[in-house]
Amino acid sequence: MADVLVVLALMFVAAAATAAVLNRDPARQAVVLSLLGLGLAVAFTVLQAPDVGLSQLGVGSALTPLMILLTVRKVRKGKGRGRE
Amino acid sequence: MNPWLGGAALLLVGGLGPSLWAAASGGAGRRVVAQNMATLLLCLVFLLLAQGYGRTAYVDLALVVAVLGPAGTLVFARLLLDRDSGDPPGARWLTPVVAVATPATVIPLCIVTGPGRATVKLVVIGLLLLAGGVATTRAVRRG
Repeated sequence: MADVLVVLALMFVAAAATAAVLNRDPARQAVVLSLLGLGLAVAFTVLQAPDVGLSQLGVGSALTPLMILLTVRKVRKGKGRGRE
Repeated sequence: MNPWLGGAALLLVGGLGPSLWAAASGGAGRRVVAQNMATLLLCLVFLLLAQGYGRTAYVDLALVVAVLGPAGTLVFARLLLDRDSGDPPGARWLTPVVAVATPATVIPLCIVTGPGRATVKLVVIGLLLLAGGVATTRAVRRG
């Protein structure tokens, strides 16, 4: 049963990473990236490394998407100002 | 075969898989709803894993997800959603799913754990999940 969980978690991580690459809009990529972070946390936990999973959750679920979205917003505002 | 791990595997395939599909395709609203659903279900997955592996320390992961998941969703709702696009598709399912799935997972775990500090922790996580589900549903609907 434990092996099945490991395989499922790794398949989820692979699917999420592929989806993150195939999406081209950075803001939407951030959503998929946050799901990839969650999947990695599950993968670490089923591999019996919950401490790594804990830090992955902290970084991956809220902090990275926040930084990406703020950057995207800043860049788009800068572009709009440049055209005027 | 361990039924708790089986439940976690089922939730991983049946809950997080469709969430990933919804988050990878469709409009911004649908993606945010899918991300929210994924964090809520992931919390339950961690609770089931903790029971399945027999390690109470793993419950901490569920606690962190219950706090950080809604925070992440609020970030997306604030920065990604349009103000006047109305209800994103699937938003009305969030609260019912949380209201059914959380007690369905937490109450059996409480019964197995028995009275004590661990049960209080489980109840706190369940309440955090319910509160997070309601708060994020409101935020997503308001846009």
